[in-house]
Amino acid sequence: MTTSHDPQLLKGVLSLLLLHLLAEQESYGYEVAQRLQAAGFADVLEGTVYPALTRLEREGRLATRLVPSPSGPARKYYRLTPAGRDALKAANAAWARHVASVQAVLARPLPATSEKGP
Amino acid sequence: MPSKVTKLDRLRIERLVWMLDQRLYDLPRKSRIAKRREVRANLLEASADHGAREALRRIGTSGTLAREYRGAEFGDSPRHSWIAATYFATLVPLLLNFVLSEAANAYAQALSAAHAAPGTFTWSGIGYLQSPLTFTVDQGGTTHSGGAWTPAVYAGWLAGTIACGRLWRLLPTPSGRRQTPATES
Repeated sequence: MTTSHDPQLLKGVLSLLLLHLLAEQESYGYEVAQRLQAAGFADVLEGTVYPALTRLEREGRLATRLVPSPSGPARKYYRLTPAGRDALKAANAAWARHVASVQAVLARPLPATSEKGP
Repeated sequence: MPSKVTKLDRLRIERLVWMLDQRLYDLPRKSRIAKRREVRANLLEASADHGAREALRRIGTSGTLAREYRGAEFGDSPRHSWIAATYFATLVPLLLNFVLSEAANAYAQALSAAHAAPGTFTWSGIGYLQSPLTFTVDQGGTTHSGGAWTPAVYAGWLAGTIACGRLWRLLPTPSGRRQTPATES
């Protein structure tokens, strides 16, 4: 799936996506970007993901460790902290509420439109 | 498709890492080094997977990336810049002293050419920038004293440093100017 996403919408949910991906599995920056792209977010560029990881780390939601790589420089692996798990739960709940609210509006029937103007 | 990372690719990656590093000087040294290493490692791996051109395209320009990193580190509100303030505070005296020195040397050479006899001369200096200079002409040549910066220059230097570095942003924000979160109605 390679359809493009609304950048503003993506910006709002990027933290949630990153927290969830890192809750699934500890990863380094490039791997996280690859996993996002494999999940269908092909238009999320690495230049957006790395600073977002830094922001989450500064907020205390991610912890890091350096792991030697067989193919080059050491990789910086990110994993969730307890605060990150709490943030993920809260963000998940907020997202579910948001989707339900949007869905409730979108489910309303639209008035029939006529071909001719009023 | 995996591809070999050539020396030219490494040079292109190092160029971006270096340019990014130059733009992150406001960050603490340890954090800056960590970002440099992380970006380099990720770019090398991305280059091996997609080629350096695509890897560099996907990471964006050094300016955008640095802005995102600074926002991630310090928040999105406008910040002061010690680097800009330091540049101004260092370069302006160098440039101004050079100009004033050249002007004094030109005046001294003119005196030597016009007055062969010994004597003492006073020049008011460049208006608003320096105090009067006293030139002494004797057979050995011309010497001068005076020509210090005026208080206006010191005030301008200080004001310029503050303006260049946006140093007023260091002041604590008044509580009344803080943004209040939207409330549910």
